[in-house]
Amino acid sequence: QKLQLQEPGARLFLSQAWKNGVPLDRHLDSGVGAPQQPTSSFPQTGRQPRYADVFLPISFISPRKDNPLHNRELSAERPLNEQIAEAEADKIKKTYPPENKPSESNYSFVDNLNLLKAITEKEKIEKERQSIGSSPYDNKLNVEDVDSTKNRRLIDDYDSTKSGLDHKFQDDPDGLHQLDGTPLTAEDIVQKIATRIYEENDRGVFDKIVSKLLNLGLITESQAHTLEDEVAEVLQKLISKEANNYEEEPSKPTSRTESQAGKIPEKVTPMAAIQDGFTNGENDETVSNTLTLTNGLERRTKIYNEDNFEELQYFPNFYALLKSIDSEKEAKEKETLITIMKTLIDFVKMMVKYGTISPEEGVSYLENLDETIALQTKNKLEKNVTDNKSKLFPVPSEKSHEETDSTKEEAAKMEKEYGTLKDTTKNDNSNPRGKTDEPKGKTEAYLEAIRKNIEWLKKHDKKGNKEDYDLSKMRDFINQQAEAYVEKGILDKEEADAIKRIYSSL
Amino acid sequence: MAGRGGRALLALCGALAACGWLLGAGAQEPGAPAAGMRRRRRLQQEDGISFEYHRYPELREALVSVWLQCTAISRIYTVGRSFEGRELLVIELSDNPGVHEPGEPEFKYIGNMHGNEAVGRELLIFLAQYLCNEYQKGNETIVKLIHNTRIHIMPSLNPDGFEKAASQPGELKDWFVGRSNAQGIDLNRNFPDLDRIVYANEKEGGPNNHLLKNLKKIVDQNTKLAPETKAVIHWIMDIPFVLSANLHGGDLVANYPYDETRSGSAHEYSSCPDDAIFQSLARAYSSFNPPMSDPNRPPCRKNDDDSSFVDGTTNGAAWYSVPGDMYPEEELLDGMQDFNYLSSNCFEITVELSCEKFPPEETLKSYWEDNKDSLISYLEQIHRGVKGFVRDLQGNPIANATISVEGIDHDITSAKDGDYWRLLVPGNYKLTASAPGYLAITKKVAVPYSPAVGVDFELESFSERKEEEKEELMEWWKMMSETLNF
Repeated sequence: QKLQLQEPGARLFLSQAWKNGVPLDRHLDSGVGAPQQPTSSFPQTGRQPRYADVFLPISFISPRKDNPLHNRELSAERPLNEQIAEAEADKIKKTYPPENKPSESNYSFVDNLNLLKAITEKEKIEKERQSIGSSPYDNKLNVEDVDSTKNRRLIDDYDSTKSGLDHKFQDDPDGLHQLDGTPLTAEDIVQKIATRIYEENDRGVFDKIVSKLLNLGLITESQAHTLEDEVAEVLQKLISKEANNYEEEPSKPTSRTESQAGKIPEKVTPMAAIQDGFTNGENDETVSNTLTLTNGLERRTKIYNEDNFEELQYFPNFYALLKSIDSEKEAKEKETLITIMKTLIDFVKMMVKYGTISPEEGVSYLENLDETIALQTKNKLEKNVTDNKSKLFPVPSEKSHEETDSTKEEAAKMEKEYGTLKDTTKNDNSNPRGKTDEPKGKTEAYLEAIRKNIEWLKKHDKKGNKEDYDLSKMRDFINQQAEAYVEKGILDKEEADAIKRIYSSL
Repeated sequence: MAGRGGRALLALCGALAACGWLLGAGAQEPGAPAAGMRRRRRLQQEDGISFEYHRYPELREALVSVWLQCTAISRIYTVGRSFEGRELLVIELSDNPGVHEPGEPEFKYIGNMHGNEAVGRELLIFLAQYLCNEYQKGNETIVKLIHNTRIHIMPSLNPDGFEKAASQPGELKDWFVGRSNAQGIDLNRNFPDLDRIVYANEKEGGPNNHLLKNLKKIVDQNTKLAPETKAVIHWIMDIPFVLSANLHGGDLVANYPYDETRSGSAHEYSSCPDDAIFQSLARAYSSFNPPMSDPNRPPCRKNDDDSSFVDGTTNGAAWYSVPGDMYPEEELLDGMQDFNYLSSNCFEITVELSCEKFPPEETLKSYWEDNKDSLISYLEQIHRGVKGFVRDLQGNPIANATISVEGIDHDITSAKDGDYWRLLVPGNYKLTASAPGYLAITKKVAVPYSPAVGVDFELESFSERKEEEKEELMEWWKMMSETLNF
């Protein structure tokens, strides 16, 4: 019997599988081979969305303060820290800034930093005690020995972290202490990191620090991402500070559109100016310290104030475009554009904050968008000369307003669906294929397909004046089909909704 | 911390943001802002066809994309679910999707019946997108095809098996992993074996077509049939398919009936009554596929016996036959190709597309290049032979009428609207249409290579003839009585 298969892993029974040089498993093969156990890795219902493909227009996302899902997740990520935290409860309460932040991401991160701080403080105290004399410390130790094993374990932990910290403090050029040796607050740390990045104009600083923290197990990945977010923010403020030389009013929740409309013309500064600001830059620590990073709500408001700066950072082209829209009549349009952009940026930040995407992805996404805007601007300029058609988009400003309105309506829906989102992203983790670009690809594929369809329909619809009517018929047809497909399991509910939405927005 | 959903949100938000912006700016291209992101997306892409393996979600998305782009000519439906619950998706392309237009022939492509034979699956996804693109570009051949045919494309009959095969790490896939469905059933050995019955009937007399009369009941009660098999059988019974191809991998040839030898020997050319047209059909596929039709191509494996291959085609049994009595305890179950021919009007061939069952992803584009002309050419074969309607004298369609061809021991039947399609190689034929309670009519037809010749039949029912005869009789009696004065 010949075993001729080239593929590795051919099982022994294959010796029978070959006869006269022809494989038994030709299309008309008998069922040679052990029948496999039926697997049911795929959910039997088959109706769960595999992707959290929540197709929604931009929406305003409020911070999810009370979402139990998020609280639960974040706390699950802090087991080690919690151990330490429990034991250090008293000390932490003393040194911990007295606010009960609802914002989870901040909460965990700041908590960690404070832990770090607490540990360092305790270590300092220990050092001091040791320098004074060992007996009081020994006594304390003995007392603790008699007490619960929890304390003992704490000491062990404490010892191990101590050695780590020692190492850290000795070698770490980035330093987790201020110059005068007092431990840093959370904000200080963020500030310091941000400053460092400015000075060296190098993002790698951040990476170095974060990787150290990660290695020590003091923060988790999501917290690292959150940290990045916060550092980026502070970075922004520093840039803006230098660019504008006047102070923000951090706690005042100004109305977004108002402030934007008013402030934007004044804050228009080219990137070069910002760069200059860079080199000048020492941060104003007192001001930045009062930028209460710890209060999520305030921070959120802060973001709106700073939004134009965000745009500066990420949308040089968009910014140029905004600049070009100066006339009064287009002010409304401009406002809409800004609102859309801001919401989009908020969205990205939110995603990053909750760890749904990594900061790099968020940044590159925004960069990409900016590039595309540049492209479109160019095209628009070219087209404006020759273009007279406005069939498909008759009333621009109205439409865009409609869109922003609808995005606001979507907010609540978004919140609800976010839960699904989180779940399904976890399910997707098990997919070994893990194509990172996949959902983006699908969305744009769908959009592209719809675009081609509309184009083709326009071309082939000879009844010129009936075009609008046909579009509504099309819309109904699509709605109907999409619904039917959802029922049959051909489309996910979210996909269908998105498709319907796309068509209704035309 | 995969952020798939998040990225989807992001992407759509961004795209729509740009939409909104562009709406404001009065520009014309809502989809274009995605261009920047698309740059990063796929390595090989051409006109919406991405040459990479599609897992189940991607398969679904690809089909949805085609539908979204070509809503006027396409429709997605499912014929049932796999054992693990995946939909057996079909995309239908026609000028009136969802509707059988009387006289319009129905075509199907089925791929990936063996889950680890992956090329067919991918080719069919590419084909769906290609047909849509070409239609919109105004490609005359494609437009004509879509207007005159109802094309059904099922990229995967065994999605469960594919997932198993595709989940293997690395590029070298096992020869068997993922072949059968999730229950371990080889789907191409799971169809009721009608060859056996036919051979018996040949000796003892009996029909050689439409052998499963009470099919639905038999199928539903049979516990040995996999859900995928059942779904396909129902599908074949519900839609009057005329022509079909079953895509496989592991070799490179177009294979036609019968797949089983009469005598039970290992190799024997076992022709079916329609051997001539089947050879022509198989050649219509292989001749457009350069490696397949290359006479100097070495066999896929060094000691393979491909002596039966002619012009890239082969009779199934001549290539290799699995005699039924080797496995007496197995119920009479066999392949889908012969099942089609013997239980319905549909002529199906099996196309082996690749020596390697699950080749590396980078090769997919070249497989598409090798096969796309073949796939279209084979599609066009449906418009050959004779076609028409069988009606009664009042013009009402007669469904299930029998159309027989003198000299070919295989009859076909008319569909619900009385329409029929009889594939034939060029020649002169006598066609007879008959139906219970009707008088048969025979007509002579000269058939070219293509297009199909239209021949309609108006059948007179027995009762009508009786009435006629009675009337004639009455006439005669009246005449007689008048003449003879009584």
